[in-house]
Amino acid sequence: MNSKKVGKKYKYIDHLSDIGIEFYGKKLEELFENAAVGMFSIMCDLELVKPQEKRNIKISQKDSCYEDLLVLWLERLLYLYEVDDVLFSEFKVGGVHKKGRNLVLTAEISGEKIDLNKHKIKIAIKAPTYHMLEIKRDDRYCDWKGRIIFDV
Amino acid sequence: MIKEGFTIMDYKINKINDYKWEIEKNEKYGMRVPGIIFADRQLLDHAASEKTIDQVINVATLPGILKASYAMPDIHYGYGFPIGGVAAFDEDSGIISPGGVGFDISCGVRTLRTNLNIGDIKDRLQDIMSILSFNIPKGVGSKGKIRLSKNQLMQLLKEGVGWAIRNGYGWEEDKYFIEENGCMAGANTDFVSSLAMDRGMGQVGTLGSGNHFLEIQAVDEIYDTGAAESLGLEKDQIIIMIHCGSRGFGHQVCSDYIRVMQQSAIKYGIKLADRQLACAPVSSPEGKRYYGAMACAVNYAVVNRHCLAHWVRAAFEKFFGKSSEKLGLGTIYDVSHNVAKIEEHDVDGKLRKVCVHRKGATRSYPPGNKDIPDKYKSIGQPVIIPGDMGRYSYILLGTEKAMSESFGSTCHGAGRLMSRSKAKRNIQGSELKKELFDKKGIVVMAGSMAGLAEEAPQAYKDVTRVVDVTHFAGISKKAVRLRPLGVLKG
Repeated sequence: MNSKKVGKKYKYIDHLSDIGIEFYGKKLEELFENAAVGMFSIMCDLELVKPQEKRNIKISQKDSCYEDLLVLWLERLLYLYEVDDVLFSEFKVGGVHKKGRNLVLTAEISGEKIDLNKHKIKIAIKAPTYHMLEIKRDDRYCDWKGRIIFDV
Repeated sequence: MIKEGFTIMDYKINKINDYKWEIEKNEKYGMRVPGIIFADRQLLDHAASEKTIDQVINVATLPGILKASYAMPDIHYGYGFPIGGVAAFDEDSGIISPGGVGFDISCGVRTLRTNLNIGDIKDRLQDIMSILSFNIPKGVGSKGKIRLSKNQLMQLLKEGVGWAIRNGYGWEEDKYFIEENGCMAGANTDFVSSLAMDRGMGQVGTLGSGNHFLEIQAVDEIYDTGAAESLGLEKDQIIIMIHCGSRGFGHQVCSDYIRVMQQSAIKYGIKLADRQLACAPVSSPEGKRYYGAMACAVNYAVVNRHCLAHWVRAAFEKFFGKSSEKLGLGTIYDVSHNVAKIEEHDVDGKLRKVCVHRKGATRSYPPGNKDIPDKYKSIGQPVIIPGDMGRYSYILLGTEKAMSESFGSTCHGAGRLMSRSKAKRNIQGSELKKELFDKKGIVVMAGSMAGLAEEAPQAYKDVTRVVDVTHFAGISKKAVRLRPLGVLKG
């Protein structure tokens, strides 16, 4: 399927014990946004989550690659979900850039306080893993493509 | 089907006996030791078909690994280490790997006995399950009834169940029936991140979701009468089984240190076949920090199960109008099946300190071992094996052979057979719930029907087949079979 034409953000990958996603983006920022959309879509139906609560995020990691930054980004979202009781549905990544030896990501994310009756959470994600983790350029379908497996 | 003695997909499998297979050491892949898989032919073929053997091989490449990279019969495809993997590393020259323990550090099982039998509860099962469901915090994102300050959490992490008992949860004697007496030595809160602390403060005493559960079970068959007597069990007796782990606290500890060890692997020149295998020498500063943080997560997990057991007692007291002492709600045993421990083992005729990783594997110590309770000294350590919600669970016993064959380890459960998405496609949670009740009289209460479908009996291997392998291979011994009556899922 031509992901660029249909604007597909992510797709699920089958894994025996766990669950994974492949995700796409025209720019790196979009790739990171779609990874987050994919992760929260595993947990619940995002159409039911209103973007009411906003958070600003800035993460940086020394001597790392995009894959490392992706894991950190998704971990931070899971942390905020768990500690603040908020499901996130909208992600605006302002930038992914190098600053000295650091890779830095800034984002504004929005979501809604968890309401178990309304949101009907499907499954909990324990953490993103490094197993089969990949981010690469894919010129056939879109500019960037990634893959990640979650421990559920 | 795999043919022993032939090279399939670049590895050679030799049959040692009907329940033990060797993956020949192949230096082309950097294997330092062979792989050993405990399985019957069918389980071996299944493992090979899903590429799990590649993961056994990957673990065999890690520095300081001793004897072999082991896989238990419930082995299935994981990420990095296989689930059902056991590997021991030399304390001086070997590594410790957070991925070799897993995200749910000290996920494990606690069992409580009762002096009730099936006749006492069979007509009231629905009501008891409702009270349990009300009393047990469960489900995705569940928060506990206990909200801790940072200082209180630090005390809990250092003291383990000693903290819980001091604060009115559980019985003093419970701790003697938990691995490490309910407090793993070496726990150091200096090595725990503030993120892990934040996640840990609100989740003590929560069951969580996924494959975690609380079940009312009945003793269905006794294989070893003497052992059953020592365990305080007889046929048709009611027991309670609690399966859960260290919740978000453990997940964060693991995530934090997998990240640290991406750098450590480079620093110490360790070549990784899979980035999830990231590790550092046991004796390095990074290795020691992880061990200290992991021990905190072990203590968190045992306190978590301890508090849940406390509320089970409270629910039974309320329902039966008797004290939990009068109801005989003592702890049978509590095991951790995702853990790394420094233990002494015989390696080539010498006792050595080694770091044993059990990822989806249970300690299986023999009769007479100093680390098991006096009550069980003559029979060996109880090994609690949760099966699936429609068939059986088991209590096995540790053996001397496990010490020589698998670094004192055996299986931890049934092992997945079907991916979660396939289970969801093929099974309707609500139909499953009805079928279990109509056909087997099992009362199931679950927060999510989709989650229930993923945990359906048919998504798992037959646990009887798995425990039979461990029994005939001699790495644990069957004592008692249990069958589910009531199932509570997150």
